[in-house]
Amino acid sequence: MTKYLLKRLLHGIFSIVILVGIVMVMIYSMLNRNLVFAKDPLYTKVSGNAKTAYCYQKWEEYGYLDYVTYGDYLNELVKSGELDEETRGDVASFGRTPDKDSEAVAEYVAKFTETYRARGYTVERLDAMMLGGRKVASGGQQQLFAYKDLPLANRLWTYFTSLFQVESIHYVQEDIPDRGLTFTLHDPVYEGKFSPAIIGNGTRHKYLLYFNSEFPYIHQNIVTIRLGTSYTVANGIDVFRTMTRSQGSYVLRPMTFPSGLQENSADDLHSATYQPNSRTNNAVYADRFIDDYTGVDTVKNNMSKMGYSFTLGILAILLAYLIAMPMGILMALRKDKLLDKLGTIYIVFISAVPSLAYIFMVKAIGGRVFGLPTLIDMESANKLMYLLPVVSLALPSIASLMKWLRRYMIDQMNSDYVKFARSNGLSEGEIFSKHILKNAAIPIVHGIPGSILAALTGAIITERVYVVPGAGNLLTEAINKYDNGVIVGVTLFYAVLSVVSLILGDILMATVDPRISFSTKDR
Amino acid sequence: MEYDYKKLGLSVEELFSRVDHSDLESEKITAPRYSYWQSVFRVFFRKKLNIVILGLLVVVVLFAYIYPSLTEYDRFGNLMNAEAKHLTPGAAMELFGRELKWILGAGANGQSTFDAIWTGARISITLAFLCALINMTLGVVVGAVWGFSKTVDAFMIEVYNVMANVPYVLLVAVMVMLLGPSFRTLVFAMTITGWLSIAYFIRTQVVIIRDREYNLASKCLGTSTVKIAMKNILPFMTSVIVTYVAAEIPLYISMEVFLAYIGLGMSEMSLGRLIFEAESAMATPGWGFEFWSPVAIACVISVVLYVAGQNLGDASDPRTHM
Repeated sequence: MTKYLLKRLLHGIFSIVILVGIVMVMIYSMLNRNLVFAKDPLYTKVSGNAKTAYCYQKWEEYGYLDYVTYGDYLNELVKSGELDEETRGDVASFGRTPDKDSEAVAEYVAKFTETYRARGYTVERLDAMMLGGRKVASGGQQQLFAYKDLPLANRLWTYFTSLFQVESIHYVQEDIPDRGLTFTLHDPVYEGKFSPAIIGNGTRHKYLLYFNSEFPYIHQNIVTIRLGTSYTVANGIDVFRTMTRSQGSYVLRPMTFPSGLQENSADDLHSATYQPNSRTNNAVYADRFIDDYTGVDTVKNNMSKMGYSFTLGILAILLAYLIAMPMGILMALRKDKLLDKLGTIYIVFISAVPSLAYIFMVKAIGGRVFGLPTLIDMESANKLMYLLPVVSLALPSIASLMKWLRRYMIDQMNSDYVKFARSNGLSEGEIFSKHILKNAAIPIVHGIPGSILAALTGAIITERVYVVPGAGNLLTEAINKYDNGVIVGVTLFYAVLSVVSLILGDILMATVDPRISFSTKDR
Repeated sequence: MEYDYKKLGLSVEELFSRVDHSDLESEKITAPRYSYWQSVFRVFFRKKLNIVILGLLVVVVLFAYIYPSLTEYDRFGNLMNAEAKHLTPGAAMELFGRELKWILGAGANGQSTFDAIWTGARISITLAFLCALINMTLGVVVGAVWGFSKTVDAFMIEVYNVMANVPYVLLVAVMVMLLGPSFRTLVFAMTITGWLSIAYFIRTQVVIIRDREYNLASKCLGTSTVKIAMKNILPFMTSVIVTYVAAEIPLYISMEVFLAYIGLGMSEMSLGRLIFEAESAMATPGWGFEFWSPVAIACVISVVLYVAGQNLGDASDPRTHM
């Protein structure tokens, strides 16, 4: 069993890698790159050479290519010690045209060209655009840069290797004293009260392990999942965090910062990450913190995107099973009677009618006739607002569950072993509960993990119609905003869920039905 | 026991007459004449509901394909007429006279909602049928090969595992961005991977039927694989395929509506786009007609196509022909 599952899991991972590869080809190679500028107000403002440079800069940010300017190259040299600050100043400004370069500049330009050509980059030098005789046109400054499209294998490798980031005390590149991990029994955030924590210095996160009052009470920052950095959807924030961080308005509470400053704030000190030189650059941080671990999350009063989707989804699943199981059973028992016919009409209606149509119908009927709230309002405490979205989500699941349960039940009722059991004198109730229902439930059980995990991804239409701040719209939003990082991240997330739910479904089915076995030995 | 045959007014000779034995006759094996498609239609028309559904289907097709060419629908014809916008049926008929086209009122541009719906329905139905045709043809052919060949099976299962996970919305979005939001793009996007799930379904069916005894017998008698596929297996699957198509066609209409709603639809005025554009009218008192009538017609079209297909699927199952 374990061996089989391991094999399945490896298989699943292989499929996922290929899938991510396909998606990357689709968005990075097939799509027109200029589309990213469709909604960019800055793009229309820059012109000439600056526009070209701006394009390459943006494309690098969106992950299309690697873009290095001559200036970056010189900075690299300074960092590695091959060049001193003074010479850099001398050679940094290159001429308007190549023949106007001074000797020293020409040497470094040649070096730059050579180095990057050797690495497979395309080096481009744009001569200054002149306005009349001497004046440089606006945006027409000379440019020198190298760029290279990232090859797929490279892209995939970087993506999957940076998926899980394990903390290391060598993360911080600046020179800081006392790198290392400290274990404390008295978490400084709680001002010396007893609470064990592991604090890192030199790591990205300050708190690697800590306790707080939220489920599951113990939290870790040692391994961080990074699905890809968002660009336009949530500026610079990882996709996974975009889905899981809290939303709504800030929860202000009195708190003491490491510097001793007492203030009402929504900051979550446990989430502190290292931000280089943040205290020297920002006086606000200097007031509050004693080290450069200043990047903190804020605590907001509402659920995350995934939280909303999951809450609605789970409630909908519960509702669906609560209604569909008895209905399916009754339909099978009263086959061709009124109830069966009504149920069939419902199933036909739901399977045929566009989902958008019945969701709007639920919204209109619920809102007008019953006066229920038709929007999810984060600031409202009214629990009734979840009712209509949950009903809308449950309607199709009810129909399909009813349809299949009825089908399986009828198939079982007509089978020979049931006739045999009846002829042997078992009561109808016994046959029904001990044989028919158990056998009919097995294929239904297979779908349970899938439906629960699918609730995490949210539903696109329902969330749009009821303005739910959920995860369902993330993919469409990312597509509309050309946020490649988010598209890849969300795809990976969906694929992992679908692989995992199939495997979980098989495991659950094998647990419920002892006849099913996945290893050849058990047979 | 003696029975009084006289009560029937018939003589014993009339009731019982001797039949001579004939060697020729006894050699004949006769079964009632059986024609598959004749039986399908006989079973189909036995149900009264099916006649009604078929009637509705004819009406839908007539309205979607003939009606738009009879009436001159101009979406922006009344654009400058401020009085013509957002009218209820009553008001529209008062303004323009009692005509069929104003039976559902007027929309945001003063256009006739009724005409707009049928123009949109034509595009949506064509799209659904075209996609179903392409996907079904590809799916059945590939699925049949997939089910028969073990090497193809091993390869295709892998392809299926990967491709089934590509988010559908993403695929359509990339296609729409690559090729522009047109009818062709949508057909392409919906068929590029759509056939895969159908092929998988057919493959499962083929695997189930492939090793049945009658096929084994057929194989032992020397029937070629192609003939087994065409003559033994395909007829068996006709009802399964028809039932599947029946569920599929409304799905394409639904998909089109969904894509239009999230802004990835086509530029042509389809049913989905109509619903999408009229959405803002839903909440406004008095404008409800513009929104609910395309929704209602979309429902009617889908249900009619679905039920007609399901019942045709039932009727095409030879087991119901008894």
